Amino acid sequence: MKNPITMPVLSDTMQTGRLTRWNKSVGDAIKKGEAIAEVETDKAVLDVEAFADGFLAGPLAATDTDIPVRQVIGYIVDQAPTVAPDTPATPATPATPAAPEPHAAAADAAPVPAVVAQIPAQGNANPVPVPSQASPSAPIKQSPVAESEKSGDHADGVRISPYARALAADLNLDLQQITPGADGVIHASQVLAAALAPQDVDLRMGPPYQIEKPSALRAAVARNMSATLQTPTFLISSRFNLSALHATAKTAKLSFTLALGRACALTVAEDPWFNQVWTRQGLAKRQRVDLGIAVDTGAGLITPVLRDAAVRPSSELAEDWRILLAKVKSGRLLPEDYQGATFYLSNLGIFPEIERFNAIVPTGAAAILAVAAAGSDGLTDFTLSCDHRVIFGADAARFLQRLGKRLEDLSWLT
Amino acid sequence: MAADESVITLGEDVGLYGGTYRVTEGLMAKYGEWRVRDTPISENSFTGLGVGAAMLGLRPVVEIMTINFALFAIDAIINMAAKIPFMSGGQFPMPLTIRMPGGIARQLGAQHSQRLEHTLMNVPGLRIVVPATPQDAYWQLRQAIHSDDALIVLEHELLYFTKEHVDEAAVAPPIHQALLRRQGRDITCIAYSRMVILALEAADILAKEGIAMTVIDLRSLAPIDWDTCVQSVQQTHHCLIVEEDCRFAGAGAELSATLQERCFYFLDRPIQRVAGLDIPTPFNGQLEAASIPRTEDIVNAARQILDTQRGQS
Repeated sequence: MKNPITMPVLSDTMQTGRLTRWNKSVGDAIKKGEAIAEVETDKAVLDVEAFADGFLAGPLAATDTDIPVRQVIGYIVDQAPTVAPDTPATPATPATPAAPEPHAAAADAAPVPAVVAQIPAQGNANPVPVPSQASPSAPIKQSPVAESEKSGDHADGVRISPYARALAADLNLDLQQITPGADGVIHASQVLAAALAPQDVDLRMGPPYQIEKPSALRAAVARNMSATLQTPTFLISSRFNLSALHATAKTAKLSFTLALGRACALTVAEDPWFNQVWTRQGLAKRQRVDLGIAVDTGAGLITPVLRDAAVRPSSELAEDWRILLAKVKSGRLLPEDYQGATFYLSNLGIFPEIERFNAIVPTGAAAILAVAAAGSDGLTDFTLSCDHRVIFGADAARFLQRLGKRLEDLSWLT
Repeated sequence: MAADESVITLGEDVGLYGGTYRVTEGLMAKYGEWRVRDTPISENSFTGLGVGAAMLGLRPVVEIMTINFALFAIDAIINMAAKIPFMSGGQFPMPLTIRMPGGIARQLGAQHSQRLEHTLMNVPGLRIVVPATPQDAYWQLRQAIHSDDALIVLEHELLYFTKEHVDEAAVAPPIHQALLRRQGRDITCIAYSRMVILALEAADILAKEGIAMTVIDLRSLAPIDWDTCVQSVQQTHHCLIVEEDCRFAGAGAELSATLQERCFYFLDRPIQRVAGLDIPTPFNGQLEAASIPRTEDIVNAARQILDTQRGQS
């Protein structure tokens, strides 16, 4: 038996995963549940676990390649392979030339039917997307840079399905700006993705440049932020004195961020509008306050989520927060750790130069609070960005009013 | 035969013996030996007899024991039945029905396992229907007898054993209309005769993986209901053709070529065929089974067509 290992779907938003490492080589014995490879997703590095006992078999997908979810990246076989096939292959293309017959009827050993193996063979003489046989010694890496450069001149190499070409013509899209799929061919899905994506910038008249692929984290932030463009937002600001909160948090042995977060969560809990979000079906009223707190990882932005932050005791939240920060540090934050917040807090207070700033309301929430550094008068700027479909000006004013009172009377903290 | 006195049937063993596959059982007792004629083993002669009877106003149903023996009658079929209405300027209609079972049954050897639909498809003037269900066999045979054109009813030897309730009162669709046996948005599978049954099994398996496959039962190979096929392929953008006959220059080749002409701008992947191997059918049972499409071959082909795109869409 030869069972395909596929690129796992590790989050709702995950479309491709970057295979960063194979922990095993072809022919190695593997145990069910063992981590056989590492995948970098939108926001984290995760293990690909073996789903059965057996041996790892090729062709293995090349590392450092973006691979669509569910695509085959390798195989698990029952018996140790007799021939060590280090023939590398790019994903989803059969590594062995198949018989010309229409179906591999008697050939159980080659489960990839010839029907499809013939796709590359029947195509034109273009060698670009057809992997492996030509250079069996060097894995073909689809380096992101090479791929981007390639998109500059599709006319020479990249194949385009008729439907994709017709779609692109109808949608008035420049095929040269569209990156092909993993098989080197532009299909309808790539064209539709390009049509839905924001218009790309035209750099041709500017200085020479080089394209570098953003990290998965950065790309995810870019996607999420672009998605918020539809949100009608207004801003409202106030200034509060935070010295009492600083002092009390210190005596309570609570991090300042956490104390501030708790204050926000309690204030949100008082006004259900702040815990709702606009959806196409209607307003989603959430039954608990899940607080997302923006964290600077050095490599980008991530928002670990404290669940039920208004109700659970501070000690529990503190323990959660400690674990979340450790995961952020090791790059192993899982989707359930950073998705689904109902209200967000972004605190740039550690930068004393920052007088005030505003933040973008992430999709899935109705508001985000931006907290700057304390000014010379001891007051700190609080700017609340609100989705006006959900929250109105007076609601937001009352929110800041209540938050201000809470920051003066700190009985809730002790 | 009860409805129309001009309907007669003739062929080897259709009378006393009731037909090799028992399809004419009891007819001789009911309608007598004038209307149910046993013939000598001479296919060209009794098919020619059918042509002559049709020219003179009868509605003969010629049964050729299997399609393999139609090779003896090819002169009567191609030179006479298919041509006379044209060459007579329409003076002689050809209300002739030739029914013959074909396809790979179980270990009948290369000479008795042929699917010669491509040979007949290439003859202008012949109409060919390929029923896959008992209901269609009933409908299309009746419609064929009613038709004033030379019509071949190609039945599959293995499908003779299918059991299904036949609704005699139901209104039949036009004889050459293709039917959507199952609708799905991801890929269109076009099949006919026994391969429809396999395609439907494959569609069940694929559905469990989240792949929704349309299955079109062509029902007729000449003419082909292109509009139904084209509409579906324009919706799914992927097309898989399944035929039991050999791949080379077969019905699938015609389907693929014409659909490519008509759907080119809607295709997101090359049209693929799953077909019989281009070899004389082996006698060995396992090799024989491996020489024609099996359900898993259809499943795999559909998966392969769609696979690299899934997850991106």
